[in-house]
Amino acid sequence: MNIILELGIILILGLISTKTAEKIKTPAITAYLVLGIIIGPFAMNFISQNTLKHSGLISNIALSLIAFSIGQNFSKQTFQQVGKQVLWISISEAIGAWLLTIIALLYVKVPIYNALLFGAIAAASAPAAIIMVVKQYKARGRFVDTLMGVVALDDAWGLIIFSLSLAVSRAIYEHLSTSLFYVFLKAFLEIGGSLVLGGVFGFILSLIGKFLKNQTELLICTIGVIFLTTGIALHFHISVLLSCMFLATVLVNLNNESFKFFDILNNVDWLIYLVFFVLAGASLELNMLTQIGFIGAIYLNFRIIGKFSGTYFGAMISNADNNVKKYLSLGLLPQAGVALGMALIVKEEFPDVGHIIFTTVAATTIVYEIIGPFFVKLALHKTNSINA
Amino acid sequence: MQVKDIMQTQIISVQLGTTLSQLLNIFKDFHSFPIVPVTNKEQTLLGIVQMRSLFDIFQPYHHNILMHNPLSMLSQETTDIFDIDIDENIGFLIIIADIIDKKVVSIQEDKDIKQAYDLMQLHKRDTITVIDQEHHLKGIISSFDIVMSVFKEKGIF
Repeated sequence: MNIILELGIILILGLISTKTAEKIKTPAITAYLVLGIIIGPFAMNFISQNTLKHSGLISNIALSLIAFSIGQNFSKQTFQQVGKQVLWISISEAIGAWLLTIIALLYVKVPIYNALLFGAIAAASAPAAIIMVVKQYKARGRFVDTLMGVVALDDAWGLIIFSLSLAVSRAIYEHLSTSLFYVFLKAFLEIGGSLVLGGVFGFILSLIGKFLKNQTELLICTIGVIFLTTGIALHFHISVLLSCMFLATVLVNLNNESFKFFDILNNVDWLIYLVFFVLAGASLELNMLTQIGFIGAIYLNFRIIGKFSGTYFGAMISNADNNVKKYLSLGLLPQAGVALGMALIVKEEFPDVGHIIFTTVAATTIVYEIIGPFFVKLALHKTNSINA
Repeated sequence: MQVKDIMQTQIISVQLGTTLSQLLNIFKDFHSFPIVPVTNKEQTLLGIVQMRSLFDIFQPYHHNILMHNPLSMLSQETTDIFDIDIDENIGFLIIIADIIDKKVVSIQEDKDIKQAYDLMQLHKRDTITVIDQEHHLKGIISSFDIVMSVFKEKGIF
């Protein structure tokens, strides 16, 4: 089967699964993942190993687009709109999940670069699943407002934490024997490089934007600059996520008509995400599921404990009310797209241990997507947000 | 020809504190919902309300920020406005500040109308707001105004 035929099958079946997911009230991403498993090498074998080998191209494009979109959250306007409380809680719960997952994994003797990566992935959550529950139960009120704000910023902090952890892990992994100084220097250069790269291209895109005449030119230019940023980041081994995110952050704070660059991508991005998640499902190594039991259980539970303590702490220092303090973390448990994207990066960057992390995250994603919405509903109930 | 020569200056604008009921009452006799500029007391342009903003009433709060996360799926999903129970008091509870769209495309009044036309093409919008140097609202200009001015120049009417 040739690659174009495979893509055709992925797109059409993907569309059918979107419709099915809507009917049974499941987030589309879970449906794509399951579709990937079904048509992948472990079941129907519609997707060849050859295609999977080249899926790095799609995942790099998808991740740079995701990072670019999320980067626009760091605007003055957004910070003013969500307020201090949401800001504190979102930072604190992301760091909480990161820290506690790392500590727990280090305690059971998982190597530090591995634990760092697991921790970083633990910070991400899944807005789609959370919004779906809020909409389904027509929940409203102060608790829901805070939850939505935290969910909105959560993945943005997650991407930063992940990029930092990835840089440190890579430095440790590559230079297991060298000094701590060298590790931090290398990580620092990688992060500094990303910021410079994203900043320069953000500035350039903002300037070129003035000479564009129509939507086609706008689309070509936006994607062109994102690809340039991603390509250069890959070439110099610096963080693609951080570069693209910072590209967007510079753009959004520099140019008050910057929304045109983000809106234009809405026409094409979902197509790439669909292929990305189906391929992620297809590359899941089901035979490894038996090996992840213990580590998987630790990751699953300590992410929850981390989210809870982080939220509690953030709510405490920002003087949030008791409902937020106690129940907000329950609303943050679903995890899907962004976490999987991060796990795929790890899989490619760390060939010998990456596939365990990827399989663990993919498997726990499915668990979180099943139990997550239940906890969101519980949080909404406990705080009287439904029919209040 | 400059934008100010053909723009519409008789415009209805609203303030951040205008309620949903007041807004709907102003426009109930129009045959469609226009772009409504939102200004403060000094007539500084703060944003606009358009048809799409009215759909925001059916969305969870902060959804505009959530749309920045491409995986939040909101951009894909259409809200079923027929299956939603909203409080009748919402007319007084929701004000323009809740639904204002800050993604506003404006042009300065002394620019050429060709530039206004290009800007509309780039943003795929039919109507844009016109401002002065200090960001004060001066009028609105639509592609219809521009087309009419071209027809007029050619002596068609």
